[in-house]
Amino acid sequence: MLMTQSACLDPVPQSALADLLRHPGLWRGRQTAAAGADTFSTGFPALDAALPGGGWPRRGLIEVLTPRHGLGELRLLVPLLASLTQRTPARWTAWIAPPFEPYAPALAARGLAIERQLVVRTGAELWALEQALGSGACEVALAWTGRTPPGRSLRRLQLATERGRTTGFLFRPSRVAGQPSPAILRLLLQPLANGAGVSVELLKSRGGARGVITLPWAGAL
Amino acid sequence: MSPHPRIQATRWVERAESLVAAAPERAGHASLPVLASSPSATATASLPEQVWLAMHLPAIEFAACYADAQTGSGVSTMPRVVIEQDGRLQRVIAACPRAHACGIQAGMPLTAALATARNLEVQPRSVRRERKLLETLANGGFALTSWVSLEPPDAVLLEVRGSLTLFGGEAPLLAAAMERSLALTGVRPRVALAPTPLAALVLARVARGPVEGKSVMLGAPLAQADPALLLSRLAPLPLSLLRWSPDLLERLATLGVRSIGEALRLPRAGFARRFGKAQLLALDRLVGRLREPRPAFVPRERFVARCEPLYELTEHTAVLRVAEPLLQQLEQFLRQRQLGVTLLVLILRHRPPPGALRGEGVLTRVVLRFAAAELVATRFASLLAERLTQTVLPAPVIHIELRTGAGTPFAPGSASLWQPGEHGGAVGREAPAFLERLRARLGTQSVYGLCLLPAHRPESAWSVAEPQPLAAATAVSAKAAGCAHHSRPLWLLQTPEAVAIEQDQLAAAGLELLAGPERIETGWWDGNDVLRDYYIARDSAGAELWLYRERAAPHRWFLQGLFG
Repeated sequence: MLMTQSACLDPVPQSALADLLRHPGLWRGRQTAAAGADTFSTGFPALDAALPGGGWPRRGLIEVLTPRHGLGELRLLVPLLASLTQRTPARWTAWIAPPFEPYAPALAARGLAIERQLVVRTGAELWALEQALGSGACEVALAWTGRTPPGRSLRRLQLATERGRTTGFLFRPSRVAGQPSPAILRLLLQPLANGAGVSVELLKSRGGARGVITLPWAGAL
Repeated sequence: MSPHPRIQATRWVERAESLVAAAPERAGHASLPVLASSPSATATASLPEQVWLAMHLPAIEFAACYADAQTGSGVSTMPRVVIEQDGRLQRVIAACPRAHACGIQAGMPLTAALATARNLEVQPRSVRRERKLLETLANGGFALTSWVSLEPPDAVLLEVRGSLTLFGGEAPLLAAAMERSLALTGVRPRVALAPTPLAALVLARVARGPVEGKSVMLGAPLAQADPALLLSRLAPLPLSLLRWSPDLLERLATLGVRSIGEALRLPRAGFARRFGKAQLLALDRLVGRLREPRPAFVPRERFVARCEPLYELTEHTAVLRVAEPLLQQLEQFLRQRQLGVTLLVLILRHRPPPGALRGEGVLTRVVLRFAAAELVATRFASLLAERLTQTVLPAPVIHIELRTGAGTPFAPGSASLWQPGEHGGAVGREAPAFLERLRARLGTQSVYGLCLLPAHRPESAWSVAEPQPLAAATAVSAKAAGCAHHSRPLWLLQTPEAVAIEQDQLAAAGLELLAGPERIETGWWDGNDVLRDYYIARDSAGAELWLYRERAAPHRWFLQGLFG
C-alpha cells in the first residue's frame, strides 16, 4: 500500500511523457503532427513548412482542387513522384483517367522511372482508384475526376489507402471546394497573377492548419 | 539365354517351395509378413531397383457407364447392367449388386437378363469413358510418383521406389493410393506392390479389397529384393491372371499346368516352342529375370471441360455458379502438372432462336488474360465475375465450355513477411493481381505502361507499352537518359489541337511568349515529315502551353502539350 502510494507520488519523468506524446500514432486535438512523422517531403521548403508533419501524408487521400487542368498541379507533385520511384521495393505509380497523355520523355527528364508508370484509361475512375489504393501494388495513385462522388465513396478511398499503404491524390475541379470531404488534406491551387508560380491554399489538414502559401517556380521547366 | 535355364528355373522354384514349406501361413494368408514390423531403415536397404504399385479397377465397365455409381451419391433403386455386343448377341458384362440379387450374372445374354428383371437399366459399354476414367486415375497417380504407366483397360502402374520413404513405408503409400483413387474415380481399387510391373498387376488382380481400415495391406506382398519370396507369392496363383488367350490356357490345362508355379517349372526351350516366345518372355518379366520397359503416361497439356446445365441460365450469377466446378477441375488439372495458365476462355452457347436447329445457338466468348501464370480457382472465379458483369447475354445460356491456352510452368513465389509498402515488404502477387483485376473490368487496352523511343518527333518519342514486372533497380538507362528531354511538357495532347492565332501575333491571342522557337524538322524519309517551330507560351489563365507553328503555308498554329 505504502509502496503504491509512493509510486503514485513520484512525478512521471518528463522525458518519458514527451516521448509518448511524440509517438506518431497519438494525435491530440488541434495539435499538428510532429515533423517527419509519416510524411514525404514535397520538395518545396515553403510548402513543407506549412503542411502538418512537414510534407505530404504517407497514408490517406489528398485532394487537389484546380480551376482547370495544366495550371501547375503536376509540377507540384513531380518532386514527390521522382523521389517515390527511387524507393525499394518497386511499386507502381498509377495515373488513373488523366486528362492528357503523361509525356514519358519529360517525366524521365525529371527523374521518374518510366517502367514504373501505369496509365489506366477508364470512365470508372473512382473504382480504379480504390483498386489501386487498396491493392498494395502502387506506391502512389493519381486520379482525375470531374464528377461529384458521394461522400461514402470518398470515405472508401480513405480506407483503401490505409489498407494498401498507398498515397492517393485526387484531382478535382475547384468548384467543389465548398463541399465536405473525408480527405485528410485538401489543397486549392491558383496560378499566381504574374504566372511564375502557384498559390496553394490549405482548405483542410490534420490539425486544422490553414493558410495560403505562395510557391514561385524555381527556373523554367 | 543362360546355359542351363531349366536348372536355374527349377532351383528358384524349389527354393520358393522350401520357403513356403517353412512358413506355410505366410504364403497362405495375404497378411503382411516380415517387413511391416521391421524398421523402415532396413526396408529401404533391402529394396529392389524398382518397386511397382499396381492399381486395378475391378468394375471399371460399370463405373464408367454409371457416373453416380462412382460418387455413390445417387443410388438407383433399379438393377443396372452394362452390356456388350458379342457377335449377334448382347451379353451382360457387369451388373450391380441389386442385379446380382435378381440372379443376373456377367456373361448372361441380355434377353435372359431382361427375363429375370423387367425394370432393368441397361447401358452399352463405353471404352472411351473407361479410358477417360483410367486417365483420371493416372493423373491422380502423379501425386505419388513421377512415373505413371497405363495398363488398359483397367489398371494403372506406378513406380514408387523413391516415394516409399516419403510416405513413411508401404502401408501409408498404399492407403494414399487407395484414397486418391476413391476421391478421383469413386472406384475402390485393388492395390499391390511388387518388384516387377507384371507381378504387381497379377497380385493386384487377386488382391482382396480392404475390409476395414487397418487391413489396407491385404494382398500386398513385400516389395523386397528376395526373388524367392516373390516366387512363393506367385507360384500358387492361377495362370489365367496373366490374361493369356483362353485357347492357350486350355492347352496348358490339358498338360496339367494351371498355376504360375507349374508353368515356371516347365523346360524353357520346350515352353517357347509349344506356347510361344511371348509367353516365355512374359514369365521372365513376371519373376524379374527380364526387365520390362513401361511406356510413361503423358498427361494432356490443355484443359477442356464442358457442362450442360439442367436448366437455362439467364443470370450472370447463375452462369458463374455453374462455371465454378469447372474452374475447380481446372485448378486440380493445373496443380497436378505444376502449371499455370495466362489465357482462359469461357464459351457460352445460347439458346437458338425458335425454328433454328439445335446447334445454331449464338456463342459468347469470355476471354480472360492474366499478367502472370495463375492456377487458383477462386482467383479465376473473381476475375470471371468481374468480366461477366460487363458481358451482355443475348439469350439464355444452354451450354458452357471452358478452355485454356497452353500451360506454363508455375513457380509459386514465397510470400513476404511484411505487407507491401511496410518496411521492406516487396510486391509479389499483388502487382499482377491488380493488373488483372483492372483489365478484366476495363479491357486489356485500357491499362498500359509507358516507354521511351529515340525519335525527334515529339509524338513518336514515347509509346504505350505492356506493363513491365516491377524490378528493384530503377537506374535510368543510358538510352532512356538520351530520350529524356527537359524542355518538354509533362502533358501531351493525343492529337495536336489547332489554335487560331492571327498573323502570328501571340499577344493578340492573349498569350505571353516565354521561350522559342525550337525548330524540329525531321521525318522527310518516311513521308510523315514535320517542319515545326515550337514555342512555350503562357495563356491568360496562367497555364504554360507548348505550341508549334507549321513552317509550311498556311502556317497554322497547334497546341501540343501543357507543362502542367
